[in-house]
Amino acid sequence: MSMDIDIQAFAGADPILAIAEEVFTAMIDGEPGHVLPALSAPELGDPMHAWVDVQGTTSGRVLLSTERATADDLARALLGMEPDEEVSTEDFVDALGEVANVVGGNVKALVPDPGVLTLPQVTQERPPTQDGSQIYELNLDWRGRAVVISLWKLP
Amino acid sequence: MRVLVADDSRVMRQIVIRTLRQAGYDWWEISEVADGAAALEHVKTEKPDFVLSDWNMPEMTGIDLLRTMRSQGIDIPLGFVTSEGSAEMREQAEAAGALFLIAKPFNAEIFRETIDPFLA
Repeated sequence: MSMDIDIQAFAGADPILAIAEEVFTAMIDGEPGHVLPALSAPELGDPMHAWVDVQGTTSGRVLLSTERATADDLARALLGMEPDEEVSTEDFVDALGEVANVVGGNVKALVPDPGVLTLPQVTQERPPTQDGSQIYELNLDWRGRAVVISLWKLP
Repeated sequence: MRVLVADDSRVMRQIVIRTLRQAGYDWWEISEVADGAAALEHVKTEKPDFVLSDWNMPEMTGIDLLRTMRSQGIDIPLGFVTSEGSAEMREQAEAAGALFLIAKPFNAEIFRETIDPFLA
């Protein structure tokens, strides 16, 4: 896929923010208004990363990064769990991966020549990316917690 | 009505089932499997009335599941619930005989609008 998303072509409306708002409203919060653009890039303590790749003639990565505690809260919201309920590793990996998967599937729909979407991967280590390969970064504030969505070109 | 939900994500299976209930299909008897191969086995042995399947799954994808079912003469209706809804995928789904393709994220209203016409 070309991953050449012309953000300016969306007349000032950020298409990645629109996707994030839709995903959080439908899957996580059940109502709009809880995910907002953040003004600055956050420092993520105890970070977790989830990503899907789009593999085609040229390939790209949709990476979602947040803190472990936020990933737990996302899993609780997705699974309809109580705020203090213990989240298993399996569930938070599944939940964070699925958020990245749905965001990635919708980002893929924006690009002109999409390839194949990979299954999501979730790790504590940030996946390696090359200098200068970042296409876009969106810093989000979800209920006071930082969530970062970034798009990357892959070699 | 016996319905099979196939998705490799347990979280997504739960969300699909929760949304089905919110959409008013709380009378459905729902089974779950985690990939296309398990779904194929289930449709052969349990013969559900309807299958809701993810597209991108390990072992066997949703579209391969549908094509295999049809090539083996299994005509149980199948709809996709998937994170991608490109025109190309919709064409592939329709050509293979899918009832519909719901792109994630979805809500109860989208489920009702899409599924209700096929229940009449």
